[in-house]
Amino acid sequence: MSFIIYALLNTTFVILISPLFVSLIKKVKAYTQGRQGPPLLQTYYSLLKLLKKETVYSDNTSLIIRITPYINIVCVIVASLSVPIVYIPGMVGGFGNIILFLYLLVFAKFFMALAGLDAGSAFGGMGSSREMTVSAVIEPVIIIVFAALGLLLKTTNLYEMFRTSLQSSLFINPSTLLISLSLFIILIVETARIPVDNPETHLELTMIHEAMILEYSGPNLALMEMSHAVKQTILMAVLINILIPWGLTSAPSVLTVSISIITFIAKGAILAIAVGVFESMFAKSRLFRLPNLFMLAFFFSFSTILFELLK
Amino acid sequence: MMNLLFICGLCVFFGATIFQIVLAAKASAMARRFSLWAMLGANLLFLLFSLNIVLRDSTFSVNLYQLTDILHFSFFVDRLAAFFMMIISLVSATACLYSLGYIEHHGSNTDKNFLVAMMSLFIIAMLLLVASDNTFSLLFFWEIMSITSFFMVMFEREKADTRKSALFYFVMTQMSTTFLMFSFIAIYHVTGSFDITAIPVVSPFLKAVIFLSLFIGFGIKAGVMPFHKWLPYAHSAVPSNISALMSGVMIKVAIYGLIRYLVFVLTPDRWWGVMILVFGTFSALLGVIYALKEHDIKKLLAYHSIENIGIILIGIGLYLIFQSYGFTDLALLALIAGLFHSLNHALFKSLLFLTTGSVVNATGTRNIEKMGGLMKVMPYTGFLFLIGSVSIAALPPFNGFVSELMIFQAFLQSFVIGNPFLKILLFFGLSLFALTSALAAACFVKAFGVIFLATPRSEEARKAKEVSPSMIIGPAILAVVCLALGIFSFQIFTSQGFTLPIPNLMFIGVALVVTLGLVWLFMRLVSNRATRKSETWGCGITSQDSQMEYTASGFSEPILTIFRPIYRTRKKVERNFSDNGKSIFKDGIAEIQTFKLFEERIYLPIANFVQRLSNTISNLHDVDLDTYILYSFAAIVILILAAGWFI
Repeated sequence: MSFIIYALLNTTFVILISPLFVSLIKKVKAYTQGRQGPPLLQTYYSLLKLLKKETVYSDNTSLIIRITPYINIVCVIVASLSVPIVYIPGMVGGFGNIILFLYLLVFAKFFMALAGLDAGSAFGGMGSSREMTVSAVIEPVIIIVFAALGLLLKTTNLYEMFRTSLQSSLFINPSTLLISLSLFIILIVETARIPVDNPETHLELTMIHEAMILEYSGPNLALMEMSHAVKQTILMAVLINILIPWGLTSAPSVLTVSISIITFIAKGAILAIAVGVFESMFAKSRLFRLPNLFMLAFFFSFSTILFELLK
Repeated sequence: MMNLLFICGLCVFFGATIFQIVLAAKASAMARRFSLWAMLGANLLFLLFSLNIVLRDSTFSVNLYQLTDILHFSFFVDRLAAFFMMIISLVSATACLYSLGYIEHHGSNTDKNFLVAMMSLFIIAMLLLVASDNTFSLLFFWEIMSITSFFMVMFEREKADTRKSALFYFVMTQMSTTFLMFSFIAIYHVTGSFDITAIPVVSPFLKAVIFLSLFIGFGIKAGVMPFHKWLPYAHSAVPSNISALMSGVMIKVAIYGLIRYLVFVLTPDRWWGVMILVFGTFSALLGVIYALKEHDIKKLLAYHSIENIGIILIGIGLYLIFQSYGFTDLALLALIAGLFHSLNHALFKSLLFLTTGSVVNATGTRNIEKMGGLMKVMPYTGFLFLIGSVSIAALPPFNGFVSELMIFQAFLQSFVIGNPFLKILLFFGLSLFALTSALAAACFVKAFGVIFLATPRSEEARKAKEVSPSMIIGPAILAVVCLALGIFSFQIFTSQGFTLPIPNLMFIGVALVVTLGLVWLFMRLVSNRATRKSETWGCGITSQDSQMEYTASGFSEPILTIFRPIYRTRKKVERNFSDNGKSIFKDGIAEIQTFKLFEERIYLPIANFVQRLSNTISNLHDVDLDTYILYSFAAIVILILAAGWFI
């Protein structure tokens, strides 16, 4: 019962807050380019507007593109249950297992890539191909980062990880700082941002994620945008709750939950600004240069493992 | 009761075989169907038999035929053997059901009857092999299994390709038997009996020799790299219902043998575990990397079998390593992961091979570049293939995910081991395992996307029709079992007395369904439900055709480029120009060749060496009578000397 309350609270909060971070990053990027940028609530308006539009399907498409938006949003929402933001609940039936968490996100990605091929457009296929390539090459890095975390925090469950990091001040630990760098790179890669992907263009040379969702329209596009935003929020939450968990609570009451919500919004805003600034500092890099970036993350996390093992 | 089930099952299988062989030239489709139904029934009997033993953890033994004092056909089924018998009978039952429709599409009447006979003998050989109590009967049924499968690979014998594949397969499979026989004789030398029981302490050298020759013998049959080369050849030649059996089941029989000997007969050393882990990791990674460049759908699936055998071996290797350090809980987790993945791979790989058979039948080609758009004409087959792809890509809540999760969990706990080098090796193995898993997902996006989505790329694909019901029901059963084994994995293991650190996927399943319901309800209430059909956006091109779609080669190109050192691709571009300034292009040649590493560096040198040796020996025979008399004389002298030496 208490888990259902947690699930409702956490999911509602994640869904409500996610578009805000998307807008915030856009705003920061606009400022660095000397523009005003869209208002902070623009993503909410766009989503609501998309819901009211009609859906256009290509003649070539099959069932896949029709179910993909639903699969995507469902997978990221269930994955978000593994990342406590409002408060850390007790363990229930394997939620919080890192492998499960990662593979739910892969599930969403798998169908998104399939749907990219569905319409028979060259753009979609290109996007799918690149997305699966990037995700295959980043996967060892992700696993090693979480293995390093597991080694550091002595658990493979995200709930337990957050609880441990809450009880100890891990951020002064050099291992945590190294892991955070890797987690930041993973955040950039998984949310399709510069230098991996450019979320703002529709040029075939630079697109990965946008190329795959080119054929969506109306409510389906809203679902895809929403699931992308939610995914970004939960990956940010993983980084935040491990590096700077202050404010998060494992003893829920009205007061502690509101504190953890308010502190999360503040910390999330800072991270979103950091992402925006980071993105403005770099140019999109060539696809085949990306493995170098991933090797950097791999090196950071593997050296953490070596450090922890040989300590 | 159990005796009755066992004997009845055997009788039905042998009956079907004999019936089909005797009537090979005459039997009609009706008789064939009757045999297949009988085989299906016999498989169900064996399924009941093995489930009974697996769930109750009981044992069963019977002595069928006493040849001499030490050579006899006796059978002993414990939980491990019954588990593998369960895999064999479940997959075979669905393959029989599938064959009802499939078999009518290929070959002459005699060929079809012969194929059914061989199939029946093949299944029974595998069942009895697993149940064997001694190495004599094990080797006997091992050979029956190899020979019947060789005949089935020869099914389309009029094609030169098939003959070459079959010969390749035959040589490899006999090599595997040779190695096994060698190690069985070595074990006999130690124990003095052919029974499969724990052997006493022997010298480390002899133990290592026995282990290595067992590993090579079973490894060849299982398709472990670098002994894997027969798999893609044999699978591209054999009919799809038999591919499902060979890939889903036969290679698992070799895994059974390996586990039986490692757990019950030998006392493993630590380095065995490390060796198996290393072989497993490389099989898994290279298997999927080679699969990515494959456009022949059956070869692609064959390479994925190599990948999954690698994953199973990783489980076994981890089991041995943890066991040698005394971490029994972790060892059990790794061993169960290996066993459960054997079951899962049997299910989803058979599912994929059977649905592939339907696709190949409907389009008349195995080249995925000539397919496309089949989801609209073959929706059921497409959906089943999708379930197979999702399972093999290890996505929750399907069964493949659970076994890979167990291996991940075992890897993540490996920091408990004391030796720092081994720890680092294991973490490195973990990252390669993650890479394997992600590449498998990429490969099946390619396979499903190119076969079933977008528009047809050839006339045959455009004209394809959905297949007959039996060819859908067979795979559908496997698909349901794939999902059920995933969702109820936690409950199944708990009820069998294993508490493993795996998430309860039933909760996850419920969470997924509830969320889907809520999202659907929300969208229904809030969003605009109007839809419109239009054409794919093509940058203003007036009509789009299949030429503009992304191809399978295009899809895997980025991965191929990143892993180019592994493929050792040779690119050759020659351009001719019409003018001296090299600005007007006339014609040119571009070639991309992949270097067949294993064939050119391992197989061919060995084959060439044997060839040279036999040439030398045959040259010795190209002489006149006097020299032959000299040979005989020399032979007699050597024999007499040797006899004097030994006696």
